[in-house]
Amino acid sequence: MSLFDRLQETMAATLKVPAAKIAPDTRDEDLSAWDSLGQVNLMMALEQTFDLYIEVEDFERLKSVPAILDYLTQHGIS
Amino acid sequence: MVQPLAFWAADSDMAKTKADFDDLLLTESRAALQAALAAWPESLTLPQAQKLAAHATGLEPAAAPLRLAIVHTYTSDLLDPWLNLAASTAGLALQTYHAPYGLALQEAAPGSALVAHQPDITLLMLRREDLHPDLARPITGLAAERRDELRRACLARVQDVLGRFRAQPVGHLLLTLLPSPAAPTLGLYDAQAAGSEAVWWAALKADLAGWLREACPSSQFLDLDEVQQQVGRNAFFDRRYWYSARFPFSAAAAREFARRVVSLATVLKTPRAKVLVLDADNTLWGGIIGEDGPDGIALGPDYPGNAFVDFQRRILDFQQRGLILAMCSKNNPADVDQVLENHPHQVLRDSHFAARRVNWLPKADNLQSLAEELNLGLDSFIFVDDSDHECAAVRHRLPMVEVIQVPRRPTDVPTCLDAVARLEVLSLTAEDLAKTELYAQERRRREFSEHIGQPGEVATGDYLAQLQMRMQVSVNSRAHLVRLSQLSKKTNQFNLTTRRYDEQQMGAFIDSDDWLVADFSLADVFGDSGVVGLALWRLVSPERAELDTFLMSCRVIGREAESAFLHWQLRLLAERGVREAVADYLPTAKNELVRDFLPSQGFAAGPDGRFHRHLHQQPPRPASDFPIVVSTQAEPSTPTAPIAA
Repeated sequence: MSLFDRLQETMAATLKVPAAKIAPDTRDEDLSAWDSLGQVNLMMALEQTFDLYIEVEDFERLKSVPAILDYLTQHGIS
Repeated sequence: MVQPLAFWAADSDMAKTKADFDDLLLTESRAALQAALAAWPESLTLPQAQKLAAHATGLEPAAAPLRLAIVHTYTSDLLDPWLNLAASTAGLALQTYHAPYGLALQEAAPGSALVAHQPDITLLMLRREDLHPDLARPITGLAAERRDELRRACLARVQDVLGRFRAQPVGHLLLTLLPSPAAPTLGLYDAQAAGSEAVWWAALKADLAGWLREACPSSQFLDLDEVQQQVGRNAFFDRRYWYSARFPFSAAAAREFARRVVSLATVLKTPRAKVLVLDADNTLWGGIIGEDGPDGIALGPDYPGNAFVDFQRRILDFQQRGLILAMCSKNNPADVDQVLENHPHQVLRDSHFAARRVNWLPKADNLQSLAEELNLGLDSFIFVDDSDHECAAVRHRLPMVEVIQVPRRPTDVPTCLDAVARLEVLSLTAEDLAKTELYAQERRRREFSEHIGQPGEVATGDYLAQLQMRMQVSVNSRAHLVRLSQLSKKTNQFNLTTRRYDEQQMGAFIDSDDWLVADFSLADVFGDSGVVGLALWRLVSPERAELDTFLMSCRVIGREAESAFLHWQLRLLAERGVREAVADYLPTAKNELVRDFLPSQGFAAGPDGRFHRHLHQQPPRPASDFPIVVSTQAEPSTPTAPIAA
C-alpha cells in the first residue's frame, strides 16, 4: 500500500468521507468535514496511525494532502 | 501445589503477539463485537474507532435510541467519535446535541434547543473553576474558614446550576468536573499538608455526592478523577490539544470517559440486570473439580489460584450492588458442595447463592429453571462462563441473556466483569444491600411450606397464619422515593400497567395533592422484605380515584399481601368519600400473572374497557379478612385528612 493510499484511508475514516474525495491535491477548503474540529481529529489520527508526535506549531501547516505527505516523508515514513 | 498442565495454555490465540484489528471488523453480531472488544489488548486509534462504530451500526438495528445533550465549558465535539463507538457497540442509536460553548444556563429554560432535543441524558462537562472564580488560583494559602466558605459557595453553585436543569425535562443529569491537569499544589508534601487542595476537593465531592443522593433526583456525579486514576494523569491529558483546541483528553481518556457515559445510558435504557449466574470450573476456580479434585483446582494464595480468589472477592462487590448470585455448573453436585463447604480458600459459600443448578443438563435449560425458581425474567440474567461452547449455546437459545465469557488468561479473570455496563447501578437502597438475604429467606420459607405439606402454589391459611405476617404501609413517603422509582422501573410480572417513573416523577406524585402514593413492606418470622409493593392513585375528583400503578415484587407473591394492600387502600379511599375506584390492566409480554387480578378483587369490566368497583355499594373487605396485621405510617407531606390505621 502506497503512502498516499494509507493516508487516504486514514483521512477518509477520520473525516467520515468516501476515499474518492481524498485526492493527491486535496486541501482543507475542498472538504466541509475538514474544518477546525476535523483538523484536530486528523492530527490525532495521523499521530496514532503513523506513530508520530506532531508539534502544535505544525498543526496549522498540515492542511493539505501534499503538505501532510511531505511531512510524513520527512519523518521517515514511506 | 503442582499444576499438571496449564489449563489456559492450549489456546493458540494466546501465542499471537499482535492482535489483528481487521478481526474486529469481521465480527458478525454485536455480541461478538462486544466480546472481541472486551478482549482487545491494545488502544484504538481514532480512525479505527470510526471504522468500528460504522461496522457496529451496520451489524444489527439499534436496540434503543439514546438522545444525549452536552453542556460544556471546554471542547466537547471531539468526544463524539468515542461516544459513537461506545454507543454503537452497546446497541444504542446515539443523537448528540452540543449546547453553545460555555455554561449555557439559557439552555435550562422551556423551549431551549436543549429541551427541544428531548435528551435522555444531559451531560455537564464543567471545569473546576466554573464553580468559583477563586479556584483559578491556588487555594492552599487561604485561611481554613475561607476555604470552608469557598467549599460552601462551590456547592451552592452546583446546586443552582443542577437545580435549573433539573427543573426542565432534560432527562438524567450527569455532572462531570475536569480534573486539574497540574500535579498537586504542594507536590510531594501535598498528601499531608493541612491546606491540601486534594483534600479540599475530596471534601467538596463528598458534600456534592451527599446532596445529589438526598436531594437531586435522577442525577449522577460521574467522577472524572476516577477516570484519570484508571488511565493515569500523564496518559489522561494531551496538553497539545488542551492548549491548542481546549480539548483535554487523550484518545485513551476520551474512550474511557465515553464508555462510562454510555454505561450509565445502558442502565437507563435496557432491562435491569438482577442475577449473575456463574459457572464453576475455570470461572470460580482454575481447573476442573471433577478431574483435578479439591486439592488440584487452582484456588489459593499462589498463582494462578490467587487470581480466582480475587475474582470471587470481586463477585461479592456485585452482590453489594444488589445483584443476586446463582450458579450453573456441569458437575457432580457433591464435588461442588465439597468446595463450597470445605475448601479453605473458597470465598463464595452456599449462603452467597440464591439458587444453584449443578447437574449435566444443558445450561439453557438450567437458566430457564433458575428464572422460574427466582421468579425473574431471563432478560435480567447475566451468564458468566469460560467455555466457547456453553457461551455460544446460551447466546443461541436464549438471546435475551447477556453472556460474558471468562478470559483464558488467569490474570485477566478478576477484572472481566468491570466494564459490563448492566452491572452498574444508579442508586442503592437498603433492599439492594440485603438482596441475597431476602432470597435466602424466601428459600427458607419455601422449605418451611414444603415441610408442613404445602408444596403447591396455593398456600393455605394454616401456613400463612404460621408466618405471622406484619405489613407496614406508608403513604407519600419521601424516604422511600429511590426505592419506589426503582420498583416502578424494574417490576415486570406483578404489574398492572407497567408504567415507568423516574425519581423526579415519583417525587412529584408524592408532593401532589391529586395523587396518593402507597407502598408496603412485609415482615414475617423469616425476616423483613423491605419495600416491595407500590400503588399510585390519581384522585381525579372527590368521588373518583384511578389506579395508575399497582405493582409488587414477585418475592412476596402467594401470601395475600396484594389483596391486603389493595383493600387497605380501598378502605382509605372510601373513608375519604371516594365512591368509585377505576383501574386498568395493560397487558405486556410479561404481566400475564395479573390478568385476572382486578376481577378477583371485585372489579368489573366496564363498557369503556376499564375495571370499576363501587366502594359504597360494594364495600372493601375488612382488615380481619387477611392473615396479615397492617400498620401504617402517617402521611407527612399531604395536608388533607389524617389517616387512621
